[in-house]
Amino acid sequence: MTMLGYQNKVLRIDLTKKGASFEPLRMDFAKKYVGSKGLAIRYMYEELDPGIDPLGPENKLFLTTGPLTGTPVPCSGKLSVAAKSPATGTMNDCSIGGHVGIRLKYAGYDMVIFEGKLSEPGYILIDDGKIRFMDASHLWGLGSHEAESILAKEYGTEYSIMSIGPAGENLCVMSCINSDYYRQAGRGGIGAVMGSKNMKAIVIRGTGGVKVNDIENTTNRIMELLRESVVTEDNQFIYDDGTTAFLEACNDGGILPWKNFSDTTDEKWTEYNGDVLKQHRVGKRGCGSCGLGCGNFLQIGDAICEGPEYESISVAGPNAGVRDPEKIVKFNQVADDMGLDTISAGDTIIWAMEMTEKGIHDFGIKFGEADKMIEYLKLMAKNEGVGKDLALGTKRASEKFGGTEFAMQVKGLEYPQYEPRGSWAMSVSYAVSDRGACHMRSYAPNEEVFAASVPPYTGENKGQLVYNLAEFNAIKFSLCICDFWGTIDYDIMAELLTIVTGETWTAEDMSTIGRRVINIGRAFNQREGFNRSHDTVPKRVVTEALKSGPAKGQVIPPEVFDDMLSQYYQVMGWDENGIMPDDLVASLL
Amino acid sequence: MEITITLRGTLKKLFGPDKERKVEVPDHCTCDEALRAVGINYKEIPNFGFVAVNGMRVMIDDKLSPGDELKAWSRISGG
Repeated sequence: MTMLGYQNKVLRIDLTKKGASFEPLRMDFAKKYVGSKGLAIRYMYEELDPGIDPLGPENKLFLTTGPLTGTPVPCSGKLSVAAKSPATGTMNDCSIGGHVGIRLKYAGYDMVIFEGKLSEPGYILIDDGKIRFMDASHLWGLGSHEAESILAKEYGTEYSIMSIGPAGENLCVMSCINSDYYRQAGRGGIGAVMGSKNMKAIVIRGTGGVKVNDIENTTNRIMELLRESVVTEDNQFIYDDGTTAFLEACNDGGILPWKNFSDTTDEKWTEYNGDVLKQHRVGKRGCGSCGLGCGNFLQIGDAICEGPEYESISVAGPNAGVRDPEKIVKFNQVADDMGLDTISAGDTIIWAMEMTEKGIHDFGIKFGEADKMIEYLKLMAKNEGVGKDLALGTKRASEKFGGTEFAMQVKGLEYPQYEPRGSWAMSVSYAVSDRGACHMRSYAPNEEVFAASVPPYTGENKGQLVYNLAEFNAIKFSLCICDFWGTIDYDIMAELLTIVTGETWTAEDMSTIGRRVINIGRAFNQREGFNRSHDTVPKRVVTEALKSGPAKGQVIPPEVFDDMLSQYYQVMGWDENGIMPDDLVASLL
Repeated sequence: MEITITLRGTLKKLFGPDKERKVEVPDHCTCDEALRAVGINYKEIPNFGFVAVNGMRVMIDDKLSPGDELKAWSRISGG
């Protein structure tokens, strides 16, 4: 059974033997998991034995598109980048924008799997059906921006480039993969997986196309959806402001973290907000097939970056005690070039600031020291000086030096910039996310803060809320639809899949598959030994009341957190230890 | 009493070119009542988000005081 929208081809690259082979896509997997996130996890469950070293040659890197990738469906241009995580030991799937996903699909592939390890630094050229193993000795050690410049000059604008910076080369558990100068597969140390394989870059061109069912009706309906659901006033903020819009909303909503999540809210947020940053905008960019164009390039002085996104603004701004927009932009620029996840690297540095100020361990940096924060990024990427210890990440570093109670992480992945004492369900979202503390699995502020619908400071019914939001994102990201198409719903998803693939999908199917995707991720982690004891909340969140802001006085009682977690397990059909029953696991395969 | 109403997100269009307006509203009225006084019924706006007073998130039925800044947000989605 082959559905349209798929290329029905997987490219498998053996880095050890420098060989490549093609095989049919597992359509039985695709029917149950669709594509992108879900399909990648299913393949990981199948191909990665439990207990392997995430930085060893047995780990694999999966680049996975979806059936909508490469079609005119709006906001469908992303790519799943997945592997076992060096940061957490869980499964990890990231979502990278730009044009790389579409080019891979046009090259003829639903998925590319990298196995083994190159004997020396190299990059892989995927040029339609031509696969080449290229020398990268002239690129190794360079920042991502310079390396991509060299490759871009050599190959031209028809090629997309994915690259790692020094952080990935040095196997930092907070390293990311960049693409085309401006997008990242950010979290969980995915860059280190590439680095462990001696892969500096992947260069991709695709000159083919994608077959869809009934091209005329597909195109007509897509145009209608663009007008009715994508390019609308509801989504306008993303074009106008990008994610800087979240800064003011989070500040007003009481979830903007301050000085390593010790408090919330900054009364001087207008010094670095979207209105300030917009004045320095020098360009805009959208991903392939995007109808929204959220990408912004800023330049302030010699600091230039794409972004900064809300996460980067928050972690390098108020959460570090910094209010200088130029420093925030510079932080983003250096993190991208070094190939570091701004969230994890930033959180680790601000943890070090608190450690220093409290006299627990002197890392030589305090809150507000923006120039040092930027310098420390380089040290972490290069594993030099104090960077050697900080490159461990907050979990391992706090186990070594102390300060675990304010090491804001779950399973070794650092907290995104939404304070859960201002949005109680978010504490559970972070705890149960399949890859450690992630805001993209179940985004509780959507209901608890940015809408008047759900009271934020109670545990009542929060297990169901966390599940509902997680199911929605799980299917959305398995269709490879961008998060910022905020008005999409299950009916539209099912309709798009139906008109592209030629098979009939329903809204109920979307719900079923979303649940299944959550479960396969949990099954992977369960097989690695994860259970309730790993679904944690930092001690700060359950012991320290916020001192200011809209959520002043709020602290999540530990028994309430435990109850919310139990509610979620019940909704999922897992036992009190967060373990899936055998028959549920079997049903996923 | 006089308060300032600021609209954010996609609600901005409801005030035309004005970013904010100073308005006279009944003493100690609620946020809901203050918005209705300028023609905004939040129940009729599908993407109405939340309200904040003087930079603090509050509920729609919380009361206002003279000189308050009432900010009304549309929903923003994403992560």
